[in-house]
Amino acid sequence: MEVDKKLISDLTPEIEKTSIKWYITFFIFFAFFAVGIYGLIQQIDKGHIVTGMRDNVVWGFYIVNFIFFMGLSYSGALISGVLHLFHTGWRKPIIRMAELITIISLIIGPFFIFFCIGRLDRLHFLFIHPRIQSPITWDVIAILTDLFGCFIYLYLSFIEDFAILRDYPDLKVAPWKKKLYKTLSLGFTGTDKERKILSNARIVMAAMIIAIAIIVYSVLAWIFGVTLQPGWHSTIFGPYFVIAAVFSGTGLLIILMWIFRKVYHLEEYITKRHFVNVGVLLTVIAAFYGYFTFSDYLTKWYGSIKMDSLLIDKLFTDYYSLFIFANYVGILLPCIIIAFPKFRTIPNITIAAVIAITALWVNRYIIVIPTLETPFLPIQDTRPDWITYSPTWVEWALTLAGVSVFAMLFMLVSKIAPIISISEMQEKDKNEIMK
Amino acid sequence: MKKNLMFTILLLSLLPVFSVRLFSQEITMISPYIQLQYFKNTDDQRILQTTLTYSKNRMELPIPGREISFFTGGDKKELFATVITDNKGVARIELNSEMKLNTGSDGLWVFSSEFKGNDTIEAGTSEITVKDVRLEMVLTEIDSIKTITVNAFVKENGTEKPVSGEAVKIYVPRMFSLLPISELTLDEAGTASVEFPSDLPGDSLGILTVIAKFEENQTFGNVEKQSTLQWGVPTKYSAPKFHRALWTKTAPKWMIYTLSILLTGVWGHYLFAVISLIRIRIEAKRQAAKEYRI
Repeated sequence: MEVDKKLISDLTPEIEKTSIKWYITFFIFFAFFAVGIYGLIQQIDKGHIVTGMRDNVVWGFYIVNFIFFMGLSYSGALISGVLHLFHTGWRKPIIRMAELITIISLIIGPFFIFFCIGRLDRLHFLFIHPRIQSPITWDVIAILTDLFGCFIYLYLSFIEDFAILRDYPDLKVAPWKKKLYKTLSLGFTGTDKERKILSNARIVMAAMIIAIAIIVYSVLAWIFGVTLQPGWHSTIFGPYFVIAAVFSGTGLLIILMWIFRKVYHLEEYITKRHFVNVGVLLTVIAAFYGYFTFSDYLTKWYGSIKMDSLLIDKLFTDYYSLFIFANYVGILLPCIIIAFPKFRTIPNITIAAVIAITALWVNRYIIVIPTLETPFLPIQDTRPDWITYSPTWVEWALTLAGVSVFAMLFMLVSKIAPIISISEMQEKDKNEIMK
Repeated sequence: MKKNLMFTILLLSLLPVFSVRLFSQEITMISPYIQLQYFKNTDDQRILQTTLTYSKNRMELPIPGREISFFTGGDKKELFATVITDNKGVARIELNSEMKLNTGSDGLWVFSSEFKGNDTIEAGTSEITVKDVRLEMVLTEIDSIKTITVNAFVKENGTEKPVSGEAVKIYVPRMFSLLPISELTLDEAGTASVEFPSDLPGDSLGILTVIAKFEENQTFGNVEKQSTLQWGVPTKYSAPKFHRALWTKTAPKWMIYTLSILLTGVWGHYLFAVISLIRIRIEAKRQAAKEYRI
């Protein structure tokens, strides 16, 4: 296959050689991961007593992280699917990142469920005694279906790049890597027929993962929505979760664009235009997300059902600062930063994305925890730590470990495959030549 | 050196203080609650029951495995049995004719039970005074009107006298508890009656049980008479037919259809993608063979 040497050298910075920076960064993340593993060993040894979860608040950081990572995954799928399906011109340098967000988050997310389950030895019961009526079963089916689909979609997008790397004579990599590229490229040579087959498969899978992402994240929302718990029993939780997921995923995409641009000097490929375009997308999504949030809380507040009122009181007292940050600062500030052309610089857009993604994590926290702290039955003579939740170091350690694994997997992928799709970028060049 | 020695001595002298502070536990004595009750069932079995419990965090918890002594007599107590409390903190003994139970001239029995206490639980006693009562229940049906009549008599100086002014409760046992039917007050003849409701469900033959009770009566304790007869409405409790619902074992059909259609659609597309991959591989091999031939 024809290759552009510059493209290969620019977009595969870590494939041929590994920099010291890479090792140091990887070691730092690995240290966080190791602390998380130590925390996990403590939890397995001593039980969930080492966490902040108790009889009432049975879900804590782990579920928050699960929802958060799954949201990132589905948003990655949505963004990459939409960008691919509509042949958005500026998508090419960033679509690979969105695809990787999808698959890596999807690998990490379910681990937080495993951490949360008290009797992990009974996990297989979900598979041998499934109840189709249970949203948990829906979620298990949905996650497995999504995982498989995302792997296929990601692999389809990698085939051409593997073929390019296989055929590039000057690529100085270990023989096992060459063999890997040869195997994974399936002998793809870039004939018209092969391209057509691949293109059709990618279009079908792009459309499919958009649909799956919406359905699967709605299923996750319904785990909350179908219960009668105050704050969760809401008809708009499905679309609300989907919008929130895209909000967080767009934010993460901007952050990753900034990191890769900075670390691998990709200024030529990831330009201000990309930041502004994804930033505008973030603003639009933020507006929708804000609308859903307002609509959800307004109806609960106005309805004045006793438990909903108690919950909203709690949100505006005990969780006041978190609530304001998640639902006002986290939505309005990114909108303001990106809406005014004067503020639209790359660092500003990245800061807006960091605020947005942090606020969304906090939003997940205030969806899960305060509801569980508002039980239907008043409980007498109970210990305060059974009613109120505060995370322990074990939960913090495993949360940071999750973030670290996310970073480490991204770094490992950059050792094997291009972080920006070479084939997509070449296609762009051809189009320009044709013009 | 001298200073170090003094410091060591000081530490050693303080050691018992620390050890007392850290390791000794303040012994808090449990104050038990001891309750003695008298029961006389429909077969005229007389039972004395002592319940030994204590209160912790506003919950009443049993004290099992403790010896309870049962006494008879007021001023001059006579031990007639010792029983160990079970897991529910209950010690029970059946009174029989072989036991020498002292009664006063007024026909009153005085019983007491005692827990002697130990290092952790304080001692406790409970006493009751009981008069033996004969409770009768007569069930009649005239012109479809079902009537429950209760009579109660006590023996005083060898002769039976009617009990008046006392409350007798009428129940019918249901699945989880006793359904109160009526509360009667005995007249001067020691009699009271009430019409039985005609619409109460019984079993498939209409059979049900009627219970008349002196309940926690200060003079007679807990005394009951029961009778089983065909006074209920025959009710056939047929097991619900197999149906699909959220809460049954089998899911509603629409749910299975929706899930199947969704999964078939999704996995069908996956299959298409996998077949495409195979086609790429085949095409690549064909292309390679063609190039080789050229």
